[in-house]
Amino acid sequence: MQKQNTITTDRDAVVFGDSVRDVSKKTITVAVAGNPNSGKTTVFNALTGARQHVGNYPGVTVDKVEGICKYKGYEIELVDLPGTYSLTAFSIEEVVARNFIVDENPDVVVDIVDSSNLERNLYLATQLVEMNVPLVLAFNMTDIVERRGIVFDNAMLSKFFNASIVPIVGKKAKGLDKLLDAVIETAENPRPKDDHIVHYGDEVEEELTKIQNLLTGEHYLVEKYGSRWLALKLLEQDKDILDKGHKPEVIDAVAKSVRHLTKITGEDPEITVASQRYGFISGACEETVRGSVELRHSRSDLVDKVVLNRVLAIPIFAGLMYGVFKLTFTIGEPFMGIIEGFFGWLSTAITGLWPAGSESALKSLIVDGVIGGVGGVIVFVPNIMLLFLAIAILEDSGYMARAAFIMDRVMHKIGLHGKSFIPMLIGFGCSVPAIMGTRVLENRRSRLTTILVIPLMSCGARLPIYILLIPAFFAAKWHGLVMWSMYMIGIILAIVCAKLLRNTLFKGETLPFVMELPPFRVPTLRGVLTHMWQRSWMYLKKAGTILLGISIILWAATSYPKPAEEKLAGLSAEQAQTVQLRHSLAGRVGSVMEIAVKPLGFDYRIGTALIGALAAKEVFVAQMGIVYSLGDSEGSSQTLREKLANNYSPLQGFCIMLFCLISAPCMATLAICKRETGSWRWALFQFCGLTVLAYIVTLVVYQIGSLIIA
Amino acid sequence: MMVRTEKLSASLEDYLEAIFWIAQSKGAARAKDIAKRLCVKASSVTGALQSLGEKKYVNYAPYDVITLTSEGLEVAKKVVRRHQILKDFFVDVLGVDADIADEGACSLEHSIPRTVVERLVDFMEFMEVCPRGGKDWLKGFADQCNAQKKHNCEKCMDACLKKFRKEKQIMITEEKTTTVADLKPKQKGVVIKINRRGAIAKRLAEMGIGRGTLVEFERVAPLGDPIDIKVKGYHLSLRKSEAADIIISAK
Repeated sequence: MQKQNTITTDRDAVVFGDSVRDVSKKTITVAVAGNPNSGKTTVFNALTGARQHVGNYPGVTVDKVEGICKYKGYEIELVDLPGTYSLTAFSIEEVVARNFIVDENPDVVVDIVDSSNLERNLYLATQLVEMNVPLVLAFNMTDIVERRGIVFDNAMLSKFFNASIVPIVGKKAKGLDKLLDAVIETAENPRPKDDHIVHYGDEVEEELTKIQNLLTGEHYLVEKYGSRWLALKLLEQDKDILDKGHKPEVIDAVAKSVRHLTKITGEDPEITVASQRYGFISGACEETVRGSVELRHSRSDLVDKVVLNRVLAIPIFAGLMYGVFKLTFTIGEPFMGIIEGFFGWLSTAITGLWPAGSESALKSLIVDGVIGGVGGVIVFVPNIMLLFLAIAILEDSGYMARAAFIMDRVMHKIGLHGKSFIPMLIGFGCSVPAIMGTRVLENRRSRLTTILVIPLMSCGARLPIYILLIPAFFAAKWHGLVMWSMYMIGIILAIVCAKLLRNTLFKGETLPFVMELPPFRVPTLRGVLTHMWQRSWMYLKKAGTILLGISIILWAATSYPKPAEEKLAGLSAEQAQTVQLRHSLAGRVGSVMEIAVKPLGFDYRIGTALIGALAAKEVFVAQMGIVYSLGDSEGSSQTLREKLANNYSPLQGFCIMLFCLISAPCMATLAICKRETGSWRWALFQFCGLTVLAYIVTLVVYQIGSLIIA
Repeated sequence: MMVRTEKLSASLEDYLEAIFWIAQSKGAARAKDIAKRLCVKASSVTGALQSLGEKKYVNYAPYDVITLTSEGLEVAKKVVRRHQILKDFFVDVLGVDADIADEGACSLEHSIPRTVVERLVDFMEFMEVCPRGGKDWLKGFADQCNAQKKHNCEKCMDACLKKFRKEKQIMITEEKTTTVADLKPKQKGVVIKINRRGAIAKRLAEMGIGRGTLVEFERVAPLGDPIDIKVKGYHLSLRKSEAADIIISAK
C-alpha cells in the first residue's frame, strides 16, 4: 500500500498511558467496506480526521481515499473502499472493492452496516464472511434503531456471522473507540475461519463439493480464500474469477454444474445463491432482532410525498436546478472578480520588474503564459467549488437519486440513464465539472456516451461569443430567439449524437434502473465540505497542470516566431499586435486554415481566433478583438460589433456561433475527458468528432443558406 | 353375448384368457404354450380347444396355430378386464400382496356378476378423488392393517383439512397472479418468480427481490416511467419494463 503525505489524527493522548506494550508502532491495514448510503464515508472521516489522501485505483477512475489513525500504539491505515451492495462484478466499484480485498490482503475488513436497513446491508457482510477475511461489523445509525425501540442480540448475530459486532453512531462519532478496539482484537487474534455460514441447499452444496474437489491445489486463490469461496464464485458465473486461468476440467465441471442446477431450479445458479443468502439473513434476523426488521423511514416518506408528487415533482426539481445555477454563477461572480483583480495586479506587479516597454521573453512567458494560464483555471474555482457544494448537498441529502428517478423517462428515450441528466445539466455551466459528475454512472458505455456529448450543452464560456455576435448581426427583436436557438441546436445535436453513439460504438443493453432511493437525511457540514474539497482539489491539480502546459504552448504559438523589428517600426501598438499575430505560428496556421474554412464563410481572421478559442471558448472574443486591432474587447465592443457587421453577413455571423457551439471543446474539457476516460483516445475522439460535426453542420447551413439568400 | 358367456365354464374362460395373453406376446398360440401357461396336460388342452372351436371362439385345426375369433376375443377381453379390476381392488384398496391378489382375482373373475364389477370400478374412482377418502385415506387403512394399531382420526382430519386448504390456496393465488408493474400505489404482493435472466435478474436478487419477498408499490415517477417500490424496508426504483418481469401474487 502506498503511503503518501497522509494526514493523521492522534487518538493516543488519553489511552496510551496504561499501555505496557512495546512502544514500537505496529501497523494494521484496514479496508472499510459498506453499502452506498450506509454512512461509510462519515465513519471514515471521523476515524481519520477531516482530510485524507485521495488517489486513484489503478486503471479506473474510482477514488481511492486513504487515511491513518493512531490508536493504542497502533498505526491503523484505513482505505475507504467504494460503496457497494455486493461483491460481484456488476460495476467498476464492486470489482475494485473485491480486488482490493483479494490482492491487497488487508489485516481487517470493517463493514459499515446501516442497521436501520439491516437485511439488505447484511448481504455484503455475508459475502465478506465467505471470503474468509477477518471481519468487524460496525452497526451504524444505531440511534435511529434505538429510537424505534428495536433491539439486536449482537452476541447471537456475531455468532451467526462469525465476526465482531460494534454498535456505532457515525454522525456523532459514538462507539468509534470500541470499533478500533475490535479492529485491533481481530487483527491480533483472528477468529477461527468459517466460510460455511450459509447452507445453499443440497443440490447446490453437492455441486460445490464436486467443484471444490477439483480445485484443491489448482489455483493460487484457493490457498488465500479457500476452495469453497472460489467454487461458489465459479458457480455464480463470476466473469472475473472465471477468467483467472483455470484448468479446462474445472471450467467444464462448472459449466456442467451450472447446466444441472439451471435444469433443476429453472433459474441461474447465481439467483439461487443470492436467494439463499437472503434466506440465511432473514433467518438470522428473525432470531436476533426484536421488533420489526422492516423499518419505516416515516419522515423521509413524508418528504417523498412532496418532492416526488406527480404534480409538484417537476416544478420542485426545476426550481432546485435553477437554484444550483443561481448559486454557482451569481454568488461565484464577485469571487471571480476578486481573483481576476488579483491576477491583474500580479501581472502588473511582475511587469513592473522589467523596464517599461521591455520585450523580455521571460516576462511575456510569466505574464501572458503562466499567469494567463493559471489565472484562467483558478478564475473558475469559485464557480466549481460552489457547484460541487450544491452537488454534495443534493447527493448527501438523498435528492440526487430522486432527480435521476424523475428524469429517467426522458433520458432512457435517448439511450441514457436517469443519472446522466444532472451532469448534462451542469454542462450548461461548464463541461469540466459536468464530465466529473458522470462518475455516478455505473455503466461504462452510458458514461462514455454522456461524456462525449456533454460539450454540446452550450457552456457559460460560449455566452460572451453570443453576446458579442448576436447584436452585431440581428435586430433586437430576434436576439432572444437566436440565443434560444443556439441552446436548442446544442440540445438536439446532443440527443442525436447520444442516440447515434448508443446504436453504434456503445451498442448494448441500457443500464438497468435498479437504483436505491436512500432515505432523506440532513447532510453533515463536514461531509459536504469534505466532498466539495476533494473534488475541487482534483480539478485544480489535474486539469490545472495539463491546462497550464497547454496555455504555455498556445502562448508560444501566438507569440513566435516574432516578426523582424523593422516591420513593426512606425506602427501603433495595436497595429503592431496584429502584424505580430499574423506572423506567429497561430496566425500562419490561421492563414492556411482559410482554405479549409472558406466554404463555411470564414476568413483567416476567424480561423486565427478559433485557434485561440481552443484554450477557452471566451478567448475567441479577445482574439477577434486583436485581429481587428481593437485590443481589449471589453470597453470597445460596440465598435468591434460594427466592424464585424461591416465585414460579415448575418448568415456568416450565425455560422460563426454555430461552429463555436459545436466544434472542439476547450483544452480544460479535453484534459478532464482524458482523465475521466483514462485515455487520450476518447479525448481525441471527442475533439475530432465534434470538430468534424461542426464543420459538416456549418457547411450545410452556410451553403444552403447562401443559396436561399442569393 | 352375455348368454353365451354364461354358457362357458370357468375353465374354458381360463383357456380363452391364456390364448389372449399368448397371442398378445407371440401373435398366435400353440397347444404346447397353453399347456405350459395353465399347467395342464397337452391332452386336456386338445379337448378344451375342440370344445372352444365348436363354439366358434377359436380357429382351431390340429397341429396349426390357434387364434381367437372376433367373438372369442370379445369374451377374452372381458375376462381380462374383470381380472384386472379385481386385482387392482385387492392391491390398491385392500392392500393385499400382488401374488395373492392375482390368485384371488382368478377364482373370482368367472363367477362375479357384471354389475358388481362395474360398481366396484365406480367405487374405486370415487375413493381416489373424494377429499374425505383419497389415496391418503387408503394408505391410512393399509397402515392400520399392517401395524395393527388404532388410527388417529383427529390427526388425519387435520392433515386432510390442511391439504384441502392448500389446494384451494393454490387455486386462489393462481387467479391473482400479476406483475409489480401492474400494482397500484400502496398495494402489496409476494414475489413468485422473476421472468428474466442475466444481469438484471442477478441485480434484483442481490437487492433482495427473490421468491417470497414482500413488495409494496409506492409510486410512479411524474413522467410515468420508473416506479418506486418498497422492499425489505427500503425504497427501490425500477423501470416498468423490469418490474413487468417480476411475477407476484397480489394481496
